[in-house]
Amino acid sequence: MPNLARNAEAARRTMDVLLRGSSARSAMLRIPAPATPGDAAEQLGLATPQFQDVELAPVVFRTNAAKTADGKAARRELLVSATAVEVLTGSQNFASAADLFASAFGILVDDALLAIISATELEAGGQVCGYRLTLRETAATAVLQ
Amino acid sequence: MQHAKDTFYITLRDRIAALNPARTVLVRGVSRPAVLVEENELPSVYDQPQAFRLSWTDLAIDPRNDQPLATMRCEIRYATAGNSSNGGMDRGRLLAAMDAELSAAINAAPQRATKINYAASGATAMQTNIFWNCVVFNAAETKDEQIQRVATVEVFSYQEAGEL
Repeated sequence: MPNLARNAEAARRTMDVLLRGSSARSAMLRIPAPATPGDAAEQLGLATPQFQDVELAPVVFRTNAAKTADGKAARRELLVSATAVEVLTGSQNFASAADLFASAFGILVDDALLAIISATELEAGGQVCGYRLTLRETAATAVLQ
Repeated sequence: MQHAKDTFYITLRDRIAALNPARTVLVRGVSRPAVLVEENELPSVYDQPQAFRLSWTDLAIDPRNDQPLATMRCEIRYATAGNSSNGGMDRGRLLAAMDAELSAAINAAPQRATKINYAASGATAMQTNIFWNCVVFNAAETKDEQIQRVATVEVFSYQEAGEL
């Protein structure tokens, strides 16, 4: 009988190796700090939260998946290792990867900030091996400091 | 005008919280009354169902008085997919509950509030009031599994000397 747990772990490792071997690079996930309870200044836009940039690696851009249309911001796809996401989810006290991506302000790639439109799980052998992030170029792609 | 917008938001937020304390949303890990202002929030947290989402659209200024009268339109969007445990079949009832809460909060007397300057180190009352008319509900629309509505209210405010 096949060892399913072992196969699943192998699938995840295979995904990591494939990402590392496919022009892998790193990107930064920009996460806002938790809100201050009862702080009207934040709700009124008077005070802005602190942002924390945490590294996501390995990640790979799918260059052939870039979509552009007249008058609309370009969209790109980023493949992210589930191993890296799992570590981040735990260290930042998020309940799940979905929560992590939903809370993030965007992905910082070099000096450009890209908004996350969607995050889809990539599964093999019953195990989440990676995530496909659909990103949109923001109006101001300059780094927000 | 910014003080009028801030005052209207805080007034509506507090009235909704008093009417239904259970109507809350989670914003960056903190639970708060489910009233959000689009221009004040991160894009990632603004689009929440079962919350009242305010956006300020039209603006007109009548300069004929000593203190110009600003008329601002506030669009309030809200949507619900119903409870998943009920298969979403109660979404009409939940939308009706939100209609009732919004109507009670905005149409309740007095339809005015003392304008507050929240930009200072502490909140300080200004010399004039803001006031608003009754809320107008647009037709409900269905989008995917959600039912949604946009309501509008016009908010009036006199521009005090030196006010932004």
